[in-house]
Amino acid sequence: MLFIMRLAFSICLFACCMSFATGTFSQNQRLSINQKNSSIESIMRTIEDKTDYYFMYSALTVDVKQTVDIQATNKSVAEILDDLFKNTNITWKINGRLIALSANGESTVVSQQPRNISGKVTDSSGTPLPGVTVVVKGTSVGVITDVNGGYSLPNIPDNATLVFSFVGMKAQEIAVSGKSVINVTLREEIVGIDEVVAIGYGVQKKRDITGAITSVNSTMIEGTPVKDVMSVLQGRASGVQVVSNSGAPGDGITVTVRGYSTLNSGNSPLYVIDGVPVESNSLSQLNGWEEHGLNPLADINPQDIESIEVLKDGASTSIYGSRAANGVILITTKRGKSGQGKVSVNMQAGVSTITRFLSVLNARQYRDIITDAYENYNDYIGYKYYKNYDYNYNLIDSLNPLNTGDVDWQDVMYRTAWQKELNVSFSGGSADAKYAISSSYLDQDGIFIASNYKRITSRVNADFKLNPKVNVGYSVSYAHSKNNRINAGGTGNNSLVQSILVRPPTYSLTYPDGSSLNYLNGKRNPVALAKEVTHLNTTNRIIGNQYMEWEVLKGLKFRANLNVDYISMKEDEFYPTTVDYREGYNSGSVRAINNLTWANEDYLSYDKTFKEDHHFTALAGFSMQEWKKEITGLDGLYFVSDNITTLNSASTISQKDDYVNTTVEHSMVSFFGRLGYNYKGKYMLQANMRADGSSRFGKENRFGYFPSVSGAWRFTDEPFAEGITSILNDGKLRLSWGQTGNEAIGDYTSQGEFSVGSNYVDYSAASPTVMPNNALTWETTTQYDLGVDLSFLKDRFVFNADFYIKETTDLLFDVPIPETTGFNYITQNVGDIRNKGCEFALTSHNLDRKFKWTTSFNISFNRNKVVSLPEDLLTNGYMENGAYHILQEGRPIGVFYGYKFLGVFSRDEDNVNEVRFGSASGAIFKGGDPIWDDLKADNIIDDNDRQIIGDAQPEFTGGFNNDFSYKNFTLNVFFQFVYGNDIYSVLNGQRNWVYAYNNTSTDALNRWREQGDVTNYPRPIRNDPLHSGYYYRVSDRWIEDGSYLRLKNVSLAYNVPRKITEKLKISNLKAYVTGQNLITWTHYTGYDPEVSSYSGTKIGVDEGSYPQSRTIIFGVNIDF
Amino acid sequence: MKKLNIIEMKYLKITIAVFFLIQVTSCDEILDKDPVSTFSADGFYQTESDCEAAVYGIYDAVQAAFGTNFAYWGEGRADNVVTEQTGEAMYLMDNNMTVSLASGDWTNLYTIISRANYAIKYIPGIFDEDDANGNILIGQAKALRALAYFYLVRVWGDVPLVTEPYTSVDQDIFVSRTDQEEVFDQMEEDLAFAAEYCEDKYNSDEDQIMITQGGANALLTQVYMWRGEYEKALETSELVLNNSLYSLVTTMADWSDMFISGYSDESIFEIAYDETDQKNGLRTLYAVGSYSIYVPSEEFKASYEDGDERIPYVYDTNLAEPKAIWKFLGKGVSDEVADFYDCNIVLIRLADIMLLRAEALVHVGGSANISEALNLLNQIRERAGLSAFATEADAEAMYGDLESAILHERSIELCYEGHRWFDLVRTEKAISTMNPINGLSDEGNLVWPINSDIINGNPNIVQNAYYQ
Repeated sequence: MLFIMRLAFSICLFACCMSFATGTFSQNQRLSINQKNSSIESIMRTIEDKTDYYFMYSALTVDVKQTVDIQATNKSVAEILDDLFKNTNITWKINGRLIALSANGESTVVSQQPRNISGKVTDSSGTPLPGVTVVVKGTSVGVITDVNGGYSLPNIPDNATLVFSFVGMKAQEIAVSGKSVINVTLREEIVGIDEVVAIGYGVQKKRDITGAITSVNSTMIEGTPVKDVMSVLQGRASGVQVVSNSGAPGDGITVTVRGYSTLNSGNSPLYVIDGVPVESNSLSQLNGWEEHGLNPLADINPQDIESIEVLKDGASTSIYGSRAANGVILITTKRGKSGQGKVSVNMQAGVSTITRFLSVLNARQYRDIITDAYENYNDYIGYKYYKNYDYNYNLIDSLNPLNTGDVDWQDVMYRTAWQKELNVSFSGGSADAKYAISSSYLDQDGIFIASNYKRITSRVNADFKLNPKVNVGYSVSYAHSKNNRINAGGTGNNSLVQSILVRPPTYSLTYPDGSSLNYLNGKRNPVALAKEVTHLNTTNRIIGNQYMEWEVLKGLKFRANLNVDYISMKEDEFYPTTVDYREGYNSGSVRAINNLTWANEDYLSYDKTFKEDHHFTALAGFSMQEWKKEITGLDGLYFVSDNITTLNSASTISQKDDYVNTTVEHSMVSFFGRLGYNYKGKYMLQANMRADGSSRFGKENRFGYFPSVSGAWRFTDEPFAEGITSILNDGKLRLSWGQTGNEAIGDYTSQGEFSVGSNYVDYSAASPTVMPNNALTWETTTQYDLGVDLSFLKDRFVFNADFYIKETTDLLFDVPIPETTGFNYITQNVGDIRNKGCEFALTSHNLDRKFKWTTSFNISFNRNKVVSLPEDLLTNGYMENGAYHILQEGRPIGVFYGYKFLGVFSRDEDNVNEVRFGSASGAIFKGGDPIWDDLKADNIIDDNDRQIIGDAQPEFTGGFNNDFSYKNFTLNVFFQFVYGNDIYSVLNGQRNWVYAYNNTSTDALNRWREQGDVTNYPRPIRNDPLHSGYYYRVSDRWIEDGSYLRLKNVSLAYNVPRKITEKLKISNLKAYVTGQNLITWTHYTGYDPEVSSYSGTKIGVDEGSYPQSRTIIFGVNIDF
Repeated sequence: MKKLNIIEMKYLKITIAVFFLIQVTSCDEILDKDPVSTFSADGFYQTESDCEAAVYGIYDAVQAAFGTNFAYWGEGRADNVVTEQTGEAMYLMDNNMTVSLASGDWTNLYTIISRANYAIKYIPGIFDEDDANGNILIGQAKALRALAYFYLVRVWGDVPLVTEPYTSVDQDIFVSRTDQEEVFDQMEEDLAFAAEYCEDKYNSDEDQIMITQGGANALLTQVYMWRGEYEKALETSELVLNNSLYSLVTTMADWSDMFISGYSDESIFEIAYDETDQKNGLRTLYAVGSYSIYVPSEEFKASYEDGDERIPYVYDTNLAEPKAIWKFLGKGVSDEVADFYDCNIVLIRLADIMLLRAEALVHVGGSANISEALNLLNQIRERAGLSAFATEADAEAMYGDLESAILHERSIELCYEGHRWFDLVRTEKAISTMNPINGLSDEGNLVWPINSDIINGNPNIVQNAYYQ
């Protein structure tokens, strides 16, 4: 019992300290008291009369009858209290308006008295709250709840009102009105202005933040069925753009913080989980035809997360130096709290379906268009070189048994997919040892047949107090995942999303005798490709952090961290003989990837308040980090049997060059520091500095220095603002400047490389592959940020705005150089990119009574511009960036470049200028052919006629969240939107292009068929000799508006009433149903406007990724 | 000052120890990371075996440069092939020469040159001066550099002459085109070095797939013939003909096998490929069922003399319009069989040099030379089951003149091996031959346009006049 009381006491003290530190109340009020030989009690009355304070104590332990003398003139309350109790055994603490008294040597402030009114205080999840102050309003009578949240008060009059208060919770007043049992659920303070948020190497009160930081907490995560950390941020964090590269479980996601600030692929932010900088780039080596890989953060169970902080401006991020140019995402996982152990079980099950189907021609329509395409081809060719170009009559022969079908292959390949998830967590601890343990199991089918994702995660977070000054602890998480992928994206013959849309509807899957038909006229059997081909990715990952924290002196702490992130990944790929057209041909590959990052960080932090008003913080540290990646792999052909798919069964080892076994290493040494000053919470200043030395750069250019300064001014604390504080209760201006860097180049790029492995038959060869550049150094991003935080009407409306300019110079860029050098490019520091933008967030408590409604809305605008590029190379005025984009000075990253489609010639003679294809001797465009914009007006359509045809970057993005609660029901409705971006739909190009025997969309029914037809759909010509289709010619025919508004999440939960749960002997029971991606409003005609087939700067391309799905999930949450 | 208690002392010690540990490892020690699985650029040339690996690296680039393009460059614009596949092949066939042509991109040839330049510069530093083994390696590097330049000048005319490796951004990377005569002089110098210092024979398969003295002389013969230096061609071709490594294969079966299995006595230099990661483009070019890029033209089929035993080894005579070319991949080749990638591409062989010599002899003239020319031509004809030309008049009767008879023989004997277009240009017959087929009429049109990517990447490269 003593132990429990001590615990309650320490929580109380902690709570007191917290609120003391915040200085929310007028402690500085001065008063004079002159009373001789008075009882303490009467002096206390005087203080209560003259100030807004009231006392709380237990008459059993605190003797207030003793008499003292006091003579105080114009002294603060604290000084008076010190004076008052100096010769007594009474100690005091201020907690808000409350002055709690306790007797020295006693472990409890006030004891409980077992009479009259009693009850229990819990938080919104039903967890008992110990240490809650319960006071009879207007008196000094009160108690503190015990570890079970219980309390009792004696002799309380009927007309009294009880006040329940607890740090971080909204105080509640409840009239007694004859009740003898009063149970209370305290809600978290609506606006956690005193909330603490994670910053680099420490925490800070949100109130004192000087930089631009967006925080997402666990309550937002719990309401959504997302399976990965990145998706949580979508639409919820201003300035952060999240795009799923595909809808496949576990697949890559692109996160961009405040625009694209670099040209190399290193555009993703730095992720730091519990202090561990983790690998966030895909390590997957076998992605089939996909351009992107897996999402390494899918290994983190979102249910473990306590909060996510996105550090956006230079001042917040510069403490992370060279890896922070794209923002830093700090993830804090749940840690144990002292108190009774808590067991939580969460079960979910759900179904997913495809959000929409795309149109395809049926068998009859298909035979028509194929015949057209052949006839047009023969017309075009004119039997020039062959006497007779015979075409494949099989295709249009409806009596051919292989060709009698009429199938929409989407019906065959997409399914209703099931998923189930189980999370179990334990947390609790004593004052000296705290723990949080969790495990989860996820089994998720993809909507494409045969795709499946399974994940097991487990985490232990533990903290131990070795002695009053030394804490040690660790966070260790383990994840095991098995991803049975299918080859969805890309444009190859094995890529399913595209190939099922263009597969002839007439094809059979079997021969008439029932045996599987694997290959017909260049098309593989998609069912066999999905079901029989193996693309298995198995990942094991351990992320660990161990720390020791020692309070050397009061306010001075030393902390040592040891961090490890280890990923072991194995990938197996196998194509059995059944999917190949060649006799006995099967092939397989294996890759094993070992990726280890470890870091040691040691730092001293100092925190001290002088003369109450001057608060100083300081930090100085050192860190050392090393990365090592090893890839081992082989490819093989002619396996003895389709049943043995390991490489020992391959009779030919075919890939010997690049992946047999390679290792790369990289290391970094850093020094960092921070100084902070805060005057009365009114003026705040902070300066950071980091020096990073990276092994990726030559000796002379190894170290980069990344400084930042920031300041904030709480103008509502100024005297002139007194008049408006009843409306604008809190207002703060922030200003920051900071620099960060980027070192995202190859590990040995500056040294230059000679590679081995490209052999001449059996003779081992070596050749220069990377041209050295010793002058290479950091890419630097400089960011200015102006921010304002406003709270209106006692925090009922909270508004944040940020304006920023972010400029990256000395870009690390693979500058193309003339091939006469023997190299395609050399990595150099060139060019300049600028992002400008603003972000707004508004939270409003629309209704806050029995029916509660809270809205948060955020919107972000970013304008990106390539300011300069290397001059020598701009002979055309631009640089290519993949197949669809260019980079050009004055334009944003992600502009599409190609031909402008103006329509279709209705008749041969409409081509009055005799515009030709390709060159002066090229074919003349005829009726039915596209009219291309002849930019150069030379009557030849060639490369010179290309122009900017679109921009993949949105004008704005954002989210709109609504939380409703009524009695035991809560409802979350979350919208997310993106506006003003273009998508280049390669997929639509593919499905409107008759190359060989491809099927098309129903748009093709409007095609040009004969002279005089007026349409915007050109005549199909087999093999597309005039490049009317997508493949040879990038054109705005395939550009579409990618704007969308999406009802991303609707979640309805029901908290089973306590009466029932008590009978069931559980503390909390919640049932919920969640729908994800329910409705999307968009003009985009592909599967989904949220798409990105490439990672990096080649944004906004839809090559037919795995489609997004609509998901409904049912779940139950039980706490014991 | 307050004394620290024992536990605190312990942590203090640990802390100091940790800092101490960090101090002993200096930053440089942590931050010096040499490549593990590759060499750093200045750390490569250290041993003799490094030099060998570097030379094999040049051959690796040769594999990439010629795998498909040997046919686009040597056959694609000439009269022996036709195509119904749109794309590169049809543009060449139609003489629709645009700056987007893939075969108008010389990147892979300059990769050969760059690797050779590295080898030529750094190998001498590893070997003693005039070390025979060192010179064998340098000789090969020089010959391969010359091979690349030979294709460059024949395809594009004037090209940048680069003879130094690039090791720093401070070098002049935006080079201009050099007069092709200067490039030819460099080629002849390189090949003369190779003809002197390369291995005369390796006593293994390497004799065919690596540059020997014979290979260098054969290549030199081709260069002299292109430049019209017939006397010099006679000197070098004589060295080739007298080289005991080389002899004509005798039977038609062996003739066919020369391309399928490679490594024949007739082969002087062939580029080696395998079926896995060092593949060539033969299957796509000549044999993938209905997708085959090239098939024999009507003119070509008609140009065979009756009784030519080579025909069934070249294409399917049972079909009026053969769908594939069998020459490289074997009689009756079917695309249901998985692999045809391991055939070597025979770039230079004895029959080619014999016919070039015959041509040179005719140019130089004189009855002894004419009779030697006839003798050389007849060796090829008789092997194919054709009757020998007893006199020059016999050849004239059939082909107008002896030179034409030799050229015709080259067209048949060396068909699809990448010689036809260059023979037509060299003998100034390209326009007269191709004009009726695709309207070729301008001398300036005989070279390729330079691919736009190359022009765009280097402001100092000027497009060939015809294509400006």
